[in-house]
Formats: sequence, structure tokens, C-alpha cells
Amino acid sequence: MKSTAWGIVLAVIIALLAALPWIGNTVLVQFGINVLLLATLAQGWNIIGGYTGYPSFGNSVFYGLGAYGVAIAMVQCHLPFWVGMLLGLGLGVVFAGLLGLAVLRLKGHYFAICTLGLALVMTAIVSNLEIAGGNIGLVLPLLRSEVLFYELALGLLVLATLTIFWLSRSRFGLGLIAIRENEEGAAVMGVNTTLYKVLAFMLSAAFTALAGGIYAYYITFIDPVGVFDIGLNVKMIIMAVFGGPGSVLGPVVGAFILSAISEVLATKVTSIASMFFGIVIVIAVVFMPRGIAHLVQHIKRMGWGYFFDNVRTHRL
Amino acid sequence: MHRFLFFFVSLFLTPAAWAQPVTFGASVQLTGPVANTGRYYKDAYEFAVEKINAAGGIKIGSAHQKIALKILDNQSDVNLSVRQYVQLLAQDKVNFLLGPFASNFVLADSSIAEKSRVPMVQGGGASDQIYSRGYQYIFGTLPAASNYFGSTIEAMTKLNPRPQTVALLYADDSFDVSVAKGTRELLKKAGLKTVIDERYSTNASDFSVLLSRIKSENADAVLVAGHETEVLNFIRQAKSLDVSPKLYSFTVGVPSADFRHALGKDANGASGMTAWLPSATLKDQWFGDAEEFARAWKTKFGYEPDYHAASGVATVEALVNAIQAAGSTDPQKVRDALAKVSFDSLYGRVAFDDKGQISLPQIMVQIQNDEVVPIYAGKDFINKLQYPLAPWSKR
Amino acid sequence: MELLFQVLVSGILLGGLYALMALGLALVWGVLNIVNLSHGALIMLGAYVTYFLVTGAHIDPFAALPIAAAVLFAIGYLIQRGVLNLVIRGPMFNTLLITFGIEVVLTYLAQSWFSADFRTINPGYAGSNYTVGAITIPYVQVLVFVIAIGLTVAMWLLLLHTRTGRGIRAAAQNLVAARLYGVSPKSVYALTFGLGAALAGVAGGLYGTVSQINPYIGGPLTAKSFVIAIIGGLDNPLWVIVGGLFLGSIESLTALYIGSTYRDVASFGILVLILIVRPSGLLGRTT
Repeated sequence: MKSTAWGIVLAVIIALLAALPWIGNTVLVQFGINVLLLATLAQGWNIIGGYTGYPSFGNSVFYGLGAYGVAIAMVQCHLPFWVGMLLGLGLGVVFAGLLGLAVLRLKGHYFAICTLGLALVMTAIVSNLEIAGGNIGLVLPLLRSEVLFYELALGLLVLATLTIFWLSRSRFGLGLIAIRENEEGAAVMGVNTTLYKVLAFMLSAAFTALAGGIYAYYITFIDPVGVFDIGLNVKMIIMAVFGGPGSVLGPVVGAFILSAISEVLATKVTSIASMFFGIVIVIAVVFMPRGIAHLVQHIKRMGWGYFFDNVRTHRL
Repeated sequence: MHRFLFFFVSLFLTPAAWAQPVTFGASVQLTGPVANTGRYYKDAYEFAVEKINAAGGIKIGSAHQKIALKILDNQSDVNLSVRQYVQLLAQDKVNFLLGPFASNFVLADSSIAEKSRVPMVQGGGASDQIYSRGYQYIFGTLPAASNYFGSTIEAMTKLNPRPQTVALLYADDSFDVSVAKGTRELLKKAGLKTVIDERYSTNASDFSVLLSRIKSENADAVLVAGHETEVLNFIRQAKSLDVSPKLYSFTVGVPSADFRHALGKDANGASGMTAWLPSATLKDQWFGDAEEFARAWKTKFGYEPDYHAASGVATVEALVNAIQAAGSTDPQKVRDALAKVSFDSLYGRVAFDDKGQISLPQIMVQIQNDEVVPIYAGKDFINKLQYPLAPWSKR
Repeated sequence: MELLFQVLVSGILLGGLYALMALGLALVWGVLNIVNLSHGALIMLGAYVTYFLVTGAHIDPFAALPIAAAVLFAIGYLIQRGVLNLVIRGPMFNTLLITFGIEVVLTYLAQSWFSADFRTINPGYAGSNYTVGAITIPYVQVLVFVIAIGLTVAMWLLLLHTRTGRGIRAAAQNLVAARLYGVSPKSVYALTFGLGAALAGVAGGLYGTVSQINPYIGGPLTAKSFVIAIIGGLDNPLWVIVGGLFLGSIESLTALYIGSTYRDVASFGILVLILIVRPSGLLGRTT
């Protein structure tokens, strides 16, 4: 399909999504807000995990910082929401920059574990901070406008996806992919790996923090355990990986599909819902570790053999 | 002739018979880490609705309407419970909301009720945070966290020999922080010296450092505001580290049967408090009295009820009373009626202050010989307190 | 001063248990290069198996430990052969994800079979203690400590001085060469993972005697085990003991001097700092 045709299709989809609050009901809007935020988180992770190949378990830190930025600004300093968003964004990006310099020197699973540790440390530190309300969290002012949150979340997702689209065609993005495929080779070729990695981390943090900020105002109550939740980080990873890390739309598709199934399960067959993600991960990692995007590309050629081929290549 | 008959018959088939049931909705922790206490609420809601429907339901105007109940399992996940409350309102179109267990859940979920302007009566959250937001649609049947140790501290001032030093330990969640704040004031007013005032992380499993400090400071009385699993660990570790203060009191666990069961003999001597005891003096419109209620509950569910159960039942009864007083299911009218309710129930007198919280005194209790014995309420000792507690080696 | 000693003793005893918990994780990580996020869930299952043996068959908890170990060995063996072996030659990250998935499934199964009620393993002698001067030493904790250290030393002996152990280490260092020497990778891998699970099982049973059991204890225990494995390094089981004791003491000292709510800041802060400053672990090789 030509790129203009694709562009039109996407524009129509976005317009439909934007109109949802008026054509759908409250439950759908609610679901929509959650999915859009999750998709944004998945896209944010995609930048550092999918394109750069550094699987971060610390994105929940930036999410939490975004949420606390908004909460502290609105509750403790009585500033308006958009100032809070800027504060959250600033906190997330600065943290990503500083931490990135220290932590991006680690490779592969060490990076993953270190960022996991970071998420745990942040939870512990913030639960001891008075200005953040300690472990009991902060209560934000109530805003009766689901539509606002929905459109903000949609706007953020569109922005994130457009950024990744730009990324996939830019020198910066190609540099990141080079780092993912062969970091030493990339350095030899003249890519400033440290700079690129840290920038990717900061970009990833930016979207994650903004999503956190919207979430905080929307849910009106945040506490450390809730926003620095590692489970959330794993969710965004699963969605990105399921959808296709390193692709432009993969994480969005992954987020939508998995959220829809999870939501249906949670309301209809409640008890299995909590196991659902576990099983999806196991099956997806075994049979389609490169995500839906890769699946869609190759299944035409290979049919069912695609799945077995994955197993054959990776098993002992 | 047929038309006349038809018309006549149709008169009998109108409102009363075709009345839509009034639906109450709730998202409760049926699975997950807090399911242990969450089930009290599910059972309470179901039992209360069953009893009220059996007695005819809610009287609105001249019609009697049954109550329908929709309960969802939030798997002890706050985010899921928020989404479920939205679903209950928008999709299941419930009329009124009942609450979940635990203050942090209530804090998040009550915002949905407030945003949608639908009354929520909850019996699971007591922290100050819930009631300091100026919300109009939230009512609660758990009394103020800050006063949980009220009767205990009053009793302490009347003991002979009076405890000289007090250690105050509390978990870092909303409810327990509120308890600690209030308790500090009460201790100061009572003139008791606090030698340890320490916050610990929720779900902490190791209390050896705190216990060693209690021993080293020789605290006479220890007050702990925390969760059941923490209190359990605390008592067991106190035994193995040979720490025996003259008195120790806990905000949770003591009134619950499975807690006493888990500790066995080691539970004896522990003090606690409850806003509710299954006493025959608490009369109820649907259950007879609290003692009958407790027996019926045990028969039906196989375990003994505690104040969580009674609190849950009280929330249902409060809604029913308010709907009857308002004579309608209009959310605004019922909200206004809720603000004014005042009736006796198996839980005690149900009435809400201007912030929406009930006011009930806590009764100090102690586990003696594997039974929960009421010790102090109002201004007097009901039974003798085992004090000072003998050291572990001599029990 | 006495308070400090008492706290240190408690911290060290706790550390012994921590070390045993981390041992299984370190073994699997060091040998198979599998970062097992479901390690805590295996500890949890071990605790439940022990609990049911104690309450159902009325055996002493310490006598139930070998049975728990055997059961968990079987579970671990099956997990490795059935699931993990399918992804082991893929990117490292995939094993991380898949073990997380296993953790979710195991937790769910535990919760639906055993309910969310908390259980405790309370042997009759649970409250007794020794007194040395002004220090009180709980009897059960000493037993736990002794068993933990004993098992760790046994592991070290196994890995360094037995044929099986050498086979495992060979497979870890160079799979192709090991194959040439007749080592069957599928069995060795499954055996190693099973061993790691068995250790987790014993740690779980011991954990149940000093704390309580519910389906959700897995997560935090995995996190703790990570910290210790990183501190101790993945080379040598003996260093894991040091890692455990170190963490136990640091936690207790932090709780004493800074505040109980700062324990996690200390433990995970150490994890992060060590990884940043010395990715090869404080004491040994981790790469």
C-alpha cells in the first residue's frame, strides 16, 4: 500500500477515535483512556527497548515522576495542570539523562536488572518523602471531564507514534538501530553511542512521564506503589514485544489487542484474567518473539511454519 | 367487555409488579492479597440484601421494590476497581454504590462516585484522607482512624501501676498514618511518655530491630497500627526474641477468628479494639439483634463475623433507610437523605457527620483463654484486663 | 551497645536465610544464563508444600524440607525441559520475559488452589530462644541459619568436586566442548534448573517458619535474591553467603539508625550502585 494511502487510512482512524466520546458510552471512553495511555507507554518503551535494544525495566520510574510532578504541582503548590505536566516532563527527562549516563553502560540483562532496581529504589525513596505525601500518596482535585483526558491521551499517543515514525526515517533512528544490532560496530562507524543512547532514553522518558501526568489527574489519587509499579512496566514491555518492537505501529496494535482481551476477561471470566497475561507472554515469547509486526510480514511466506521455525531456532 | 377486562387486569399489572429492582453495585477484593478481608464485605452485602428482600424489600412510596446486587472482583488491584465502578455505573446502570475494603481503594473509587454524583456508602475505609476532600456523595461506616486507640489509652490511664512509657509503631499506609496522628494527640493529652514513635513499611516481615528497641527502652505499653500479616509476624517474633511489654494493643487482627487461630495460644494477652461486638443489645430491623446475626452468619458462611461484616451490613441498611426516607431512587434526593439518616442497627447507631463519617466509640478488647473479651468502653471497665502481661517464658 | 549487638545478630541470622534464597537464583543465572524472575514464586511453592506436609502429615517442618526440595526439583526440571528449553538460545531478554510469565501463572495457580489466606508454619518449639549475655537468639532462626549455610557449602562441594557438578560447570563455560565430552545439554540444563528450584523450595519452607506464607510473597523475595546474587557474584556459592549476611546486616543497621521505612532504599540502592560501579559484582564475576 502506498504511503499516502496508509496516511489517509490512519487519519480516518484517528478522527474516529477522536470522535469516540460522542459516539460511544462512558465505559468505552474509560477503556479508551486506559488503552491510549498504555499504548503511549508501549511506544515510549519502544524507543529505548525496541529501537535501541536496551530493555528498560525502569520506565515506570519516569511514569511515576510524571504523575508526581503533576500531583505535587497541583496539590502542594496549587499550580495549574499544564504547569504540573511540564514539571513532570522535566523531572522525567532530567532523571533519564542523569541516570542514563550511569546506567546505559550496562549491557543486556544487566541493564534490565539495574533499571528494575531503580524502580524499586524510587518507590522506597518517594514513600519516605513528605512533599510527595509519603507512602499514603496525594489526592488531586477532581475534574469532571473524561473527554478532556481522553483527547489528551489520544493526542499524546499520536505525538508519540509520529515521533517514532520520524525516528524510523532519521539518522538518529538509524543510529539507534545500529547500536541495537552491533554497538561496537556502530561506534567504530562513528556513531556517538553514548549520546544517542542517552537521548533515546530521555525521549522515551518524555512520553512516559507525560502519560503519567495525565493518569495522575485522571485517577485523582496516586501513591508510590501504584505509580512506580513494576507490573505496569512489564505490561508495556509485553505490549511492545507482542506488537513488534522496533516497528512504528506494532506497540500500538499490541496494546490495543491485549488490552481488549484483558478487559473482556476481567469482566466476563474474572478469575482467569490475572493469569491471562502470564500465558500470553509464555506463548508469545515461544512462538512469536519478534511480535505481530514481524509475524504479519513473514506469515504470508511461511504460513504455520513461521511459529515452528521460531521454536526451532531458539530451543536447545 | 374484553376491553374493560383488559383495562381492569392491566391496573394490577402496573408499577408494583413490574417495578425495576433497585440495584446496588460494588467492586470488592475477592481474590488477591486482601481477599481475606474482602470476602467479609461480599458476604455482608449478599446477606443483608437477602434478608431485606425476604422482608419485602424497600418501601418506596406505596410500592415495594426488591434490591438487586452486582458485585465484581477487583483482584485487589486498585486500578481495576476504579474501572469496575465506572462499568457498574455506565454499563450495568446500578442505582447506588457500596464500597470496597481498605482506605486506599476507597480513596480512588470514591472519586468515581463523586464525579458521577451517585452516593456511595462504604464500610471499608477509615482514613482521614477520605473525609478531608470535601466530597458530598461519600458516606462511611468505619469510625475515625484517629480515635482507634481512644478507649485503650483511656483504660491505660486508669491502670495500676500506670504504664510509664509507650511505644507507637505504625505502617506507612493511609489508614495507619491517620491512626498514628490521632494517637499521638491522645497520648499527649493523657500525659503518657512516648519513647518510640516509628513508622515501618507496609508488608514488613521483619520486626526484630523494632522489637529489640522496645526491649532496650523497656517500653511498658506497645501500640501497633498495621495489617494482619504484620501483627502476626510481630507477635511471633516478640515471642522468639523474648520481648514482653506489660500491654500490647493492635488495630487489627485481634477481633478476627482466623487471626486467633493462626497464633493459637500465643494470641492470648493481645489487646485490640472493635467498634462492634455481637451483643444482643444492638437491635436490628431485619436481623433481630447482633447476637442472632452473628449466629446466622456463622451458620450460613461457616466462619464468624467481625466488625468488617457488621460494617458492610450497615452500609446496605443505611442506603435502604435513605431511599425509604427520600421516597425515591433519585441520587440527589437519596444523598440528602443519607446525610440525615439516624437509626439503630446490629452495628449500632448509624448516622453520619457533616463530612460523611459515622461516629462510634471503639471498645477495647483482649484475647483471654482464646476468647475475645470486651474490656473497656465508654467510661468503665467491663471486664478485668490481664495486666501486666507475664513474660513469655512464664505463660 | 547491647542493642547494636542484638540487631546485628538478628541481621546476620536473617542474612543466612537470604543467602539460601539467593543461591538457587545465582546458580541458574551463573550456569544457564537464565535470569529467573519466577524464583520467588518457586520459594513460595516450597513454602506451601512444607506447610501442607506439616499440617497434613504432621511431620516436623525441618523433616519436611527434603520432600519439599524433591517436589520443587521435579517442578523446576519440568519447567526447564518443557518451557525454558524452547527459548534458551534466543535473546536473553526473552527468558526474562518468559520467566515473568511463569511467575504470573504460578502465583495465580497458588491463589486459586490455596486461597489468599495467609498460613504460618508454627512448630511447637517456635518461640524458644537461647540467651547469650544480653542477646536473645531465637532457636528456629539458628536452625534456619545452620541449614542455609550447610546447604550452600554442600552446593559448593557439589559443583567443584563431583562429576555432575563438573558437568554443570562445563556446560556453563562451553556448551559445545561439553557436548563433545558427552554431557547431554538438555539433561544438564534441566538438572541445574531443578537444583535451583529445589534450593528455592527449601528456602521457602524455612521462610514459612519465620514469616508467613501467601501466594504473593514471590515478587519481593525475587527482588531480594537479585540483590544478594549481584553482591555476591555468580561465581562461587560461598560468596553468596557473604552477600546474604551483608544484606541482612545492612538492612538491620539501616532500620536501626535511619528508620524502618528505609530498608528497601538501602537494599535496592546497593543493587543499583553495585551494578553501575562494578557490573561484575562486588565480589566475583557476574558476566
